[in-house]
Order: sequence, then structure tokens, then C-alpha cells
Amino acid sequence: MLEMRGIYKSYGPVRANRNIDLTVPPGKIVGLLGENGSGKSTLMKVLFGIVRADAGSITYKGGALAGHSPRESIAAGIGMIHQHFMLVEAMTVTENIMLGWTRAGRWLRPRAIGELIEGASGTYGLDVDPNATVGGLPYGKRQRVEIMKAILRGADLLVLDEPTSNLSPPEAGRLLEAMRRLREQGRSVIFISHKLGEVLDICDDIVVLRDGEVTGRCSAAGATRAELAHMMVGRDVTTPIDRVSRDPGPEILAVTGLSHTDESGIERLRGVSFSIGAGEILSVAGVDGNGQADLVDVIAGLQRPDRGHVSLTGRDITRWSVQARLAAGLSYIPVDRSGTSIVPGMTVEDNLALREFNRAPLSRWCCLDRAGFRALAASGIARFGIRAGGPDAPARTLSGGNQQKIVVAREVGRNPRVLLAFQPTWGLDPGATRFVIDQVLALRQAGGAILYISAELDEVLTLGDRIAVMYNGRLSEPVRREETDRTTVGLMMGGFAPMHGAAHAHPA
Amino acid sequence: MSEDRSARVNEVGAADSGAMATATRQAVEALAAADWLRAVVLASAAVTLALGVTAVLIAISGKNPLVAYAAMVRGAVGSIDRIAFALNKSTPYILGGVGVALCFRARVINIGAEGQIAVGGIAATWVALNIAASSGAIVIPAAIVAAALGGAGWAAFAAAIRLTRGVHEVLCTLLLNFVGLLLVSEALHGPMGEPGAGFPQSPLFKRPAWLPHLLAGTDLHVGILIAVFAIVACHLLLWRTTFGFRLRVLGASPPAAAYAGVSFPRCAFAVMALAGGLAGIAGGIEVLGVHYRLIEGFSLGFGFNAVAVALLASINPIAVLPAGLFLGFLEAGALAMQREVGVPSSLVFVIQGLTMVFVLCAIGIGIRQQRV
Repeated sequence: MLEMRGIYKSYGPVRANRNIDLTVPPGKIVGLLGENGSGKSTLMKVLFGIVRADAGSITYKGGALAGHSPRESIAAGIGMIHQHFMLVEAMTVTENIMLGWTRAGRWLRPRAIGELIEGASGTYGLDVDPNATVGGLPYGKRQRVEIMKAILRGADLLVLDEPTSNLSPPEAGRLLEAMRRLREQGRSVIFISHKLGEVLDICDDIVVLRDGEVTGRCSAAGATRAELAHMMVGRDVTTPIDRVSRDPGPEILAVTGLSHTDESGIERLRGVSFSIGAGEILSVAGVDGNGQADLVDVIAGLQRPDRGHVSLTGRDITRWSVQARLAAGLSYIPVDRSGTSIVPGMTVEDNLALREFNRAPLSRWCCLDRAGFRALAASGIARFGIRAGGPDAPARTLSGGNQQKIVVAREVGRNPRVLLAFQPTWGLDPGATRFVIDQVLALRQAGGAILYISAELDEVLTLGDRIAVMYNGRLSEPVRREETDRTTVGLMMGGFAPMHGAAHAHPA
Repeated sequence: MSEDRSARVNEVGAADSGAMATATRQAVEALAAADWLRAVVLASAAVTLALGVTAVLIAISGKNPLVAYAAMVRGAVGSIDRIAFALNKSTPYILGGVGVALCFRARVINIGAEGQIAVGGIAATWVALNIAASSGAIVIPAAIVAAALGGAGWAAFAAAIRLTRGVHEVLCTLLLNFVGLLLVSEALHGPMGEPGAGFPQSPLFKRPAWLPHLLAGTDLHVGILIAVFAIVACHLLLWRTTFGFRLRVLGASPPAAAYAGVSFPRCAFAVMALAGGLAGIAGGIEVLGVHYRLIEGFSLGFGFNAVAVALLASINPIAVLPAGLFLGFLEAGALAMQREVGVPSSLVFVIQGLTMVFVLCAIGIGIRQQRV
């Protein structure tokens, strides 16, 4: 059905794709596996016509595709589902599907289109209500609306770019089921992922990319996780995490009954309570958007809670400023690198100094001490192995992994009492992920109290001394790692199991 | 054996990273050099283009463009007197522009320099008329301080409206411009007006209140020195102080500023007051050094030129100096061209406007790529 032959694409000195062949037969699911920056996205952009290949040919359903635009790709029957959806939140599902669809006709026929949607919804098990307003739908449903959009526009080949990365396990399961139905109906799917388990589970063929080249090609039947991981990173990354089990020290961070309502009036936190001791990691699982961002922002002082208290080594810091909390030893790694924890236009040096610029040795009185900046940058770059053009290089010239090293150097390098880590490995490749995790564990060893929030179940389960789940603004009662398992946590993430922490919830 | 392998991998990795760092540094340096060169080439092309287009307009108006341009050059730099005139013209643009540049750095869109200059002028006038000191060493600093306070107060008023009531600063600074200009008229038709004069102006200041001249025999007053001093101070403020760091973080990314514990209200208020103070000083210099009295409409157009200068300088304080001088000399030359060759006065503004637009187009790329 699809044949890509000898695709080359370079961005300046970076060779993103080198001699890549990709074949997708009709009615098959092909997994495209690779780390961040391995060339998966570039290859798909070439396919969809967003960028032009330097060399190579694409044949789709027997016809050549060259110099095509995304619009022509859609017309030819290729559908692409990005991680960021192209949906208008204020409109209904039907309206979104009609939007920009010329075949829907010049006169709007919402009822007819709605019937089409219901029909396809049943055929593919997408469970999409045509009259629902998109703004009120959860992430997983919006994704299925996008898939519906592509199918109705006649896509016989669907490209799903990391589709499960924001889904809870039950939702991911539904998505995989929908993909199987698509395959039964003779449509093909390219499934981009770096989650080995899912790829092995659903794909027929697997193509592995590394550094812009195909490093492996196999049929899913008979392949193992270890083999795939090795093809993906070129070395073994499955070495177990070293951790010494130890009893936590005295209580450092305590949170009681935190509630918070965001600017749009939605109650994001509903009475969250927990405490963390010295040298202890409390890891929190949960699908994005269940209040995790609000929880860390409130503890870090970026938001004020409606009710509840935060205390650090026994002192109530609920009303302290960000700077005062920082001085008291509270570090925070936020999820958003591109504009919160890193200022892309500022230098590596300024970024390392971002949060403590107004204290010695970085400044005296009101003047910055450039020598102090230099020394901080030199030690940070050396100790954390930050690869940069120098302390003066703008942070935007660094790779995501190296930007995160700046954040880790700044927040962990100061040996904080408390570290709030909110998805610190988000968007990082396995090597950089491992680096961050090792640093977090080193801080635990040094006696830091760590709140580690992640949507990656594996990280939560391996890192936490105690584990809790956040769902709909509530935090379950943290349990020791030995006392829970993958299934229990997975179900709680999807809201399918009672939260043990009901005691902390509202009486309602 | 596995240790062996990992050691080798490390070695390769280290060599790799060293080579990469060097390559990256070279690439960045080359890029910076190319950027600088490109900026100069683009700016020159823009000025040439503007002059070319204007030449056509001058020809249409029935004058010889070459003669007109010769008059323009003579008018800008033809004699010491002309240079002095152009430097005096540049002073308020530089003072107003550097304040606006600092505000823009922090994403505070202050377009109220006009009103702040006007209020600064009123404050300086009040001091000059009411302090009966015989020594300039007392009257002039007092008048300048009053001008700074007046301008700062006017800007702080706008900032307070923005921060407490949420009215966008573009709106409140713009509207307060009109109020500021009308306050000048009100003052001149009332308490500060010269009795019996047929024109809305204050009485002439006494000699001690006149700004001293830098060059005997020319009109060049000490204002330009104050402007240069302000440029250096603002440059150091932006790059060498914690306040400057706060402004840069705020401008680069508001979420990062919140994360770094930088308070937007405090910074916005402070930078507005600072910019207002600088604009106020510009107003004070204008009445004490050029007119020796307050006259209606003395600040007309200064505020918008200050915004243009700030943008022309890519909101970089040090670059405000050449940008302000450019505009001042351009205006001095264009006025001479009007006088000597009889080019219609409206064309003068067309030349200024076109040149600014072309130059801004040329450096547009620079603004996006700037370091913060």
C-alpha cells in the first residue's frame, strides 16, 4: 500500500533520515520505534508532505507521491493524528468533522453527518457522540474524534504519532482495540511509539530507527522487548536501577487538606494530604490533568490554595513567597521546559542562575556578580555533563536532554531539602531519562524528600518508596511499593477502582 | 570485560562531546558574526531604498532630489551649529526611547512617553518659575528632579490603573497622553501663562534656570550628556543588576518569571515609573534648554518617536543612542531641506516615516533572534 524508498533528509549538518525504506502492506499495523530525535517524526513529515525529502521516492496505492502538500496527502487517503489535536473546543463533534471538509457539502447537513459518525463509531468501536461539545471531552475521546475525522475523509492509511503517551492504561487499551478494528476493515496504520510493550502487542511489523537510520526490522511475532530496546538505543538500558532500601527519616514535607480552584473556576485539588520523610520518594501516578500541575504549583508557591496547609520541616509555608520557599530548600522541576523551567532565549549561565540570581554568590546588593555566574556555570556544566556551546550559548541551541540537565543542575545541584519533580523525564530519550532518574535517586540517598509525579507507570512503580495515584483532584492514600502492583495502580489512574484515600476526600 | 566496554564507550563519548562543543561554538560564533554583518547591510539597504522612494516623491513635487538631499546633509551635519541643533533634537528621543525600551523588555507596552514628557515639562516649569534662587546649581537640578518625579508619577498613575483595575497599559498610557498634553494647555491658559502674550506660553525663565551650553556660540546644551549618561545607566541596569535580570526574565517568558519568583506587578510598576522619570527629564530638558519657557505642544510627537527609537534599537538600551541620533539628525536635515529647497513640509514626515519603516523591516529579523 505504501512504499517509501531510500529517503534522505538533512537539516543543515544534522542528517535526520538516511536511506530509509518503509513498507506498509494493506490491512497491517506497522510500528515505528525509536528514541526522541531518531528521525521518526521527520520521516512522517516527509510522508505527509510537511517537509520535502532530499532524495528518495514514495509510492502510495500504486501512484507516486512527490512534491505533495499535506492537503494532497489527505486527498490521497493518508490521515495523520498528531499529539496536539486540531479541534475547535467550542464546537460539537459533528461541526468539527464538517469543518474544512469539502465533501460535507456546501449546505451544512449536521443530521446526515451525525448519522455517518454514529455508523463509523459503531464499526470501529470509537464510541464518539456526534452531538457532544469537544471542549467537554477528555483527551482520549478527542483523539478518537481526530481518528474519526481522518476515516470519514477516506484515509486508508493512518499515522498515529505517540498516541498513547497521554492516555491512562484503560484508555490506551480502547485505542489499541480501535486500531485492531481498523486493521480488520482493511485499513493500514503506522504506529509511532517508544513504548515497547504496546508495539509488540499490536503491530504486525516493526521498524526501528536510530540516529536517522533503520537499525532493525522484524515481525512482531517472536520479537522480545530486550531485542527491540537494544536496536533502539544501541546498548543495553535495562540495567536495573540501584537503590538501597532504607527507612525514611523524619518528616520533611507535609501537606494537609489542600484545595485549589483554577482561574476558570474548576476545582483542581480536593483536599489532598500526604507527607514525605527525609530520603524518601513519594511517587504519584495519574493521567495528565487530574490536578498534578496544581498540586506542585501550590506547594512551590506559584498558586495559592483555597484551603489547606503546606509545611516544611514543621514550619507552615503556605503563604510564603516562591523565593522564601526556595531559600528554605524547596526545589521544583516543572513539566514545561520550553518556557517555565528554561528560558530559551537566555544563556545557559542565566538559566542556571534563574531562581537564585538575587542571592550570594550570584549577586551582591542589587548587582549581579558575573564571576559568580561563571563559576556556577562552570561547575554545573562539568558536574552534570551539560553539552553546550559554552556558558554564553542561548539555551534554545541545546537539545531537550541537555536543557533538562540545566534544570536538574539548578534544582538538584543545590542539594535541596525537598524536590518536587513533575514529569521530569517528559520528552526525553532513554539515556537522558536515566540520567534524571539517577540524579533523583542520588538526592534520595543524600536525604532529600522527593515528590515524583509522572504519567509513566513504570517510573512511578520503580522509583517510589511509597506510591499514590491522583485522580480527579484527589490523592489516594500512599502505600508502600511492595503492597501494590501495576494493575491496581493502572485501574486507579483510570478511575476504575476505589481510591483508598477516601478519608481525605470531601464528605460529599 | 563489560567494564572494558563501558570505558571505551565513555572515551568515545568524551571525544565526541569535545568535538561537538567546539563545532557548536564555531557555528554560533559564525552565526553571530554573520548576523552583525547582515544587520549593517540590511540597514544600509533600507536607508538607500527610503531615500530612493523619497527622491521620486521630491521629483513629483517639482524639486530636484539631488539638490534637496544636498540641503538635507548640510542641514544635518553642515556646520557646528547644525550638529548642535541635531544633537538637541536627539536628546528627548534618546531619553524617552531608552525608557520605552526597558518597558518593552518586560513586555509592558508603555506608549505614554508623550504625556510623561508633557507633565515633566510642567513640573520643571513650575520649579523654574517659582524658585527664586540666583544660582543655576540649585534651580536646574531641582527642576530636573521635579521633571523626573512628574513624569514618573504620570507613568505610575497609568501603571496603577493597569495593575489594580486591569485596564490594558496601551489604553491607559495612550489616553493619559491626551490628558497630559491638555494639562499643558490648561496650565498655560491659567496659572502658568504669560500675561498679555498672544500665544499660549509661560513667561521666559530667568537666566539661572537656563540649561548651560556645552559649546559656546552654539545652542548645544548639556541635555545630550544627560541622555548619554542615562543610556549607560540603563544598559548597566538591564545587564548587571538583579532588577534588570527580572525584567529580562519577565520579557522572555512570564511563566518562567513566576517560577523564578519574579513579581510582575512590582516590576511593571517600577519599570513604568523609571521610564516615566526618564521621559519627564526629557520634558524638563526641552523647556529648560531649548525654549526657556513652557509652550503649548512642545512635546508633540516626541512620545511616538520614542517608541520608534526603542523599536529601531531592537529594545536594546545601548542601541537607543545611535537610533535616537539617527532620528534626530534625520529630522534636522529634513527641516533644513524644507527651509532651503522648499520641499513641502508634509514630505519631511514622509521621509522620516518611510526611512523608519524600511529600517524596521530590515532589522525585523534581528528583533526575533535577539538575546535576552
